[in-house]
Amino acid sequence: MTTTEDRRDRSRPFLEVKDLRRDFGGVWAVDGASFEAQAGCITALIGPNGAGKSTVVSLVGGALRPASGQVILDGQDITALEPHERARLGLVRTYQMSSEFGGLTVLENLLVGVPRQRGERFRTLIYGKRYWREQEESELVKALTLLDRFSMTEKKDEFAGNLSGGQKRLLEIMRSLMAEPRLLLLDEPMAGVNPTLAREVEGYLSALASEGLTMLLIEHELDVVERLCESVVVMAQGHVIATGKMDELRTRTEVLNAYLAG
Amino acid sequence: MSQAVSFYATTILVYFGVDILACWSFNLQYGVAGVLNFAFIMFQAVGAYTAAVLTLGPSSGNGGFQQYILGWTLPFPIPILVGGVVAGALAYVVGLVALRRLRSDYQAMVMLVISVIATLIVTNQTNLFNGPAGLSLIPQPLSSLASTNSYPWLFVGVTALICVIVYLFVHRVTSSPLGRTLRATRDNEDAAQALGKDVVKLRLFIFVFSNAIAGISGALLVQFIGAWSPGSWLYVETLVILTAVIVGGTGNNAGVILGALLVPVAFNEATRFIPPFGRPGLVDALQWIVIALLALVFLWFWPRGIIPERRRRFKVPAILLVGTDPPRSSAS
Repeated sequence: MTTTEDRRDRSRPFLEVKDLRRDFGGVWAVDGASFEAQAGCITALIGPNGAGKSTVVSLVGGALRPASGQVILDGQDITALEPHERARLGLVRTYQMSSEFGGLTVLENLLVGVPRQRGERFRTLIYGKRYWREQEESELVKALTLLDRFSMTEKKDEFAGNLSGGQKRLLEIMRSLMAEPRLLLLDEPMAGVNPTLAREVEGYLSALASEGLTMLLIEHELDVVERLCESVVVMAQGHVIATGKMDELRTRTEVLNAYLAG
Repeated sequence: MSQAVSFYATTILVYFGVDILACWSFNLQYGVAGVLNFAFIMFQAVGAYTAAVLTLGPSSGNGGFQQYILGWTLPFPIPILVGGVVAGALAYVVGLVALRRLRSDYQAMVMLVISVIATLIVTNQTNLFNGPAGLSLIPQPLSSLASTNSYPWLFVGVTALICVIVYLFVHRVTSSPLGRTLRATRDNEDAAQALGKDVVKLRLFIFVFSNAIAGISGALLVQFIGAWSPGSWLYVETLVILTAVIVGGTGNNAGVILGALLVPVAFNEATRFIPPFGRPGLVDALQWIVIALLALVFLWFWPRGIIPERRRRFKVPAILLVGTDPPRSSAS
């Protein structure tokens, strides 16, 4: 899930976003955004609605291509890579809207997340189950352990489409963890989740951060951001207008004008 | 059993086997991978034409009344296998164009257009496969091994054997992590990509593999009926297979066997005995309407079909069961 290297070196930028620009029909949703996310901690991306946060996440994840600018992951320029190529480098994202595989069970959803599966290779056709059974069994143990950690074991055989909104959020985080992320992009993981479950999600994210997982988090609840995130990037109208710690940012005029005061 | 009943029964059984192959093929694409292939019938036709021209011998035979390419005489089962290979190769080329974009509505439109273009080419380029008149007098394979009366049963056996072999490969796909990932791409292709899955490559693979099966089904059919023309593979024929898969149960290999039995076999046979009424061709036209209505009714009321896609359950590995009898760990 996280590398030892990530845990050791918390000073270097693990993700560098340089002067990203992206327009939709001539309207610049992201207009020269630059920021960094340090290894081994949670960086928050906040801002009012329409600030360009989700667009930035899509640009970093590769679902959208920038008009200009660069995305650098652990020193490697990944701007030209496809989303699946970025994911294979450890850059895994979740979505603002639920994105479960509804026709698959919870356990199957988790197993889909496993990278480099032998059973996904085309030679499965020739060799059959003996080609992939051993890896599948070890991944099954991982998935069940993760379900236990997130208190979702009893839902393992439920179709993911039948879960509640909050459970879908947890499933998405678990599925991302199965993909062995080095950087996890979380787009409002607590949106639409009841307060009790939201606190649980917060607890899980805090635990993952303490284990050294690097995360970039979009979140509207500023108290959560203050508790979870060591570094905060504030966006407004496609620009990064401030970076720093949440308690410092609360007093900055430009932040208050753009976001906190509405 | 009288000769007539025997002939009728064997014909139904061979058609059933061919339709099972077609439904498995279509189900892999639509039910498992989420690719709506409106050009499906074209791949079945390619297999049929390929097997025909690899069996017919020189076009100068039989007084040269037919024009076609190749004109080879290859022994069974080579024409059937090559039919599958050629259909798979064509699927690769079509897939490179149609599957690059992930949106299924785009894919469906491209497939439909390609299917119509293919019919026009084969109909107008008469030196390919004898144009609109089609190919006939295609020799049946292994005919020297059985008498005229027992030969149809031999063909039923060949069809059943091919179905069993194809099923083994289809099952390997659907029961493996490959099948699981394909179902994931069907449910949410963006999320699958974000987890590192190369959706285009996966879909291209399943498109080639399943359309090779479609080609084999067409090759098998043409070897049995001995004739093939553009009228055999009108693009609307794809709707029959689509309806069979929807009725039987998308994503379920057993369900689509039931669909193959109910729609292309039982429904067609039941309506065959309706006495003609109204204008000539009215009954045939009504068949198409009823098939379309059948698909709509199922999509409205039973969208998962009669035998829905099954829920995969996993046994908990022994390592996680301390103090209990260790069960085997595998997907059920």
